[in-house]
Amino acid sequence: MKKLSSSLIVSVLVISFVIGISLAGLAADKKKVVINSYMADPAPKETLKQLVNRFEEEHPDFDVTINTYPHEDYKTLIRTWLPSKKASPDIVTWFAGERANTFVDKGLMMPLDDIWGEGKSFEDYFPKAFKSISQFEGETYFLPQSWYWYGFWYRESVFDKLNLEEPVTWKQFLDVCEKLKENGYTPISIGSKFRWTAAAWFDYFDLRLNGADFHMKLMKGEVKYTNPKVKDVFEKWKVLLDRGYFLDDHTSYSWQEGAKFLFNKEAGMYLMGQFIQDVVSDEKVKKDLNFFRFPIIDASVPIAEETPTDGYMIPKNAPHPEAAKEFMHYLATQQSQWFFADNLNRIAANRNIEETNYGPLVQKGLRMINRSDKVTQFYDRDTKPAMADKAMDQIVKFMVNPGQIDQILQAMEAQRKKVFE
Amino acid sequence: MNKRRWAPFKFLLIPVILYAIWVIAPIFYTIFLSFTQWDGLTAPTFIGIGNFVDLFNDPIFYTALFNNIKWLLVYVLVPLPLGLAFAMFFNRSLPGVKIFKTAIYLPLTLSFVVLSQIWTWIYQPKYGAINVTLEAIGLGNLTVAWLSNSDIVTYSLIVVGCWPQTAYTMVLFLAGLQNVPTEVMEAAKVDGANRWQRFWKVILPLLKPATIIAVAVTIIQSLRMFAIVNVMTRGGPFRSSEVLANYMYVEGFKNYSMGYASALAVILFLIILLFVSVYLYQIFKTEVEY
Repeated sequence: MKKLSSSLIVSVLVISFVIGISLAGLAADKKKVVINSYMADPAPKETLKQLVNRFEEEHPDFDVTINTYPHEDYKTLIRTWLPSKKASPDIVTWFAGERANTFVDKGLMMPLDDIWGEGKSFEDYFPKAFKSISQFEGETYFLPQSWYWYGFWYRESVFDKLNLEEPVTWKQFLDVCEKLKENGYTPISIGSKFRWTAAAWFDYFDLRLNGADFHMKLMKGEVKYTNPKVKDVFEKWKVLLDRGYFLDDHTSYSWQEGAKFLFNKEAGMYLMGQFIQDVVSDEKVKKDLNFFRFPIIDASVPIAEETPTDGYMIPKNAPHPEAAKEFMHYLATQQSQWFFADNLNRIAANRNIEETNYGPLVQKGLRMINRSDKVTQFYDRDTKPAMADKAMDQIVKFMVNPGQIDQILQAMEAQRKKVFE
Repeated sequence: MNKRRWAPFKFLLIPVILYAIWVIAPIFYTIFLSFTQWDGLTAPTFIGIGNFVDLFNDPIFYTALFNNIKWLLVYVLVPLPLGLAFAMFFNRSLPGVKIFKTAIYLPLTLSFVVLSQIWTWIYQPKYGAINVTLEAIGLGNLTVAWLSNSDIVTYSLIVVGCWPQTAYTMVLFLAGLQNVPTEVMEAAKVDGANRWQRFWKVILPLLKPATIIAVAVTIIQSLRMFAIVNVMTRGGPFRSSEVLANYMYVEGFKNYSMGYASALAVILFLIILLFVSVYLYQIFKTEVEY
């Protein structure tokens, strides 16, 4: 029996191999494009696959292959593909801003200036604000796909029950926290085990108090962390910590575990990206979720928001750059951008998609971003990995020991020196 | 005759080549990389002992080193004697002994990742098994956030490691006990040695080969501990549970400081080499005969 099954397996393998070779033979005269993708979660993976299928239907002379890798592994593996003439794919999925610039800087990416079609340019497809995260040294290297926003998520039923309004100012926000606490809710949930959730708080306090320009200088290592303006960030944050508004033992929880406290009404609010909607299993809870903008602390500071953006790049060593560019053009079009965003509740980067196409919550997010002056990516996307790694430790440490601001700032500054000087 | 003499070497050739390519060569390559700065993208640049200077000024390196020492001490003090005790107890034919033996051995068959995930739930501060039980029996004031209290997190992790490690040493000692000749044991009995004396004067010396392996494996396991830390805390909160192997991984594959990670690897390699060679030297100096 055992022998039979193993010979069966062998013959199946041989047959599929033979079929594979003959299929490859059939596809030989087609234009090949190989995409390496980090969209490993079921929903985005399926969406990209369908997008490719649609493209192949419209362009039967193309043969597009997707290789999917787990998100975390991908970030390491891409460093082995890019410099290699043999292993390089034609298109890679990647992140806008500093992370894209890292590869452009090393000469590993191909400019995309000729993919837009006759007489058209980047700005015919994407908002101006996206230039700063897609163009480096005057040339476009990054094709934005979609993005999402951050906000304070809450449950409408809880706010209704306590007669709470979405706070706009810092003062109102503190009142909401206090009222939630009085009524037995943990005002703010957070799961800081993997640190980045705390980094969102750091970013927002810095954006609200010091503005996007200062923040980006800090991210690029041009400002010292011992600057008093950075200390203000922690002092403001300390107010919330001192009043006990944050969830206890938050360093024990992943971001999803932190979200559970919001979903089951133990906690009132959660500063999180739009993708929090992806992890709600209960439809009733999903409908009850709403969000508001991080409160304005200083009205004189131009409003900035975090809008992490994902997209595509073509490596310098891509074996089929011409075919890849044709597919990239397709990825930039209104239809394909809308298809992707609509399937995943993201916001498409393409500027020609009408706001009214989106669902109500996405429209609200879109309006929020349209009314802001600047956008940033995220702490660990805007600064260098080695800086982000050590600084996020310090940020979480601050949340647990708010009394150690000075030591924490010094530790962050020491790392800035090491990474940037 | 000549042909025969060379036969073993021919058989050895392939494993030796593989070993050289996949084990020996990477060791030397890592040593080379530890003197360079390398982001994994462009060619490594030689920077001399710069990485090692940084390392000795790096507070996280010392945290990781001390945590590894904690792992080492607890690993030698707890699972090793406990494994021996279980082995002694189970080394007889009692009804049901096989079931208990299997039960204790079972955690060793689980992957460390699975084990860590299970214990993450057990340690969960609000709904985890430990804290819920403590609350239920009226010891609510003893509940702690096991994985986010920076003073105890390392010990919480070591407990997880001790579980399979005890099973492992038990198996090694059980195998060793099979080799204790019954004649010697009977002779000791006839000579009037009591249980305690038989254990200390007869069994333990005869278990020496098994003990050597058990101690060496325990030391190596504790110093290269990675999976439990990486899955359960990733070295957090704020690096208080960091160990050298995880720090090396984070520096190399998350922060892309391959040179720095290689320097950490070299240090870890030297520490393990030191412990193991000192230990083996002590052992082989005094060979037991019977």
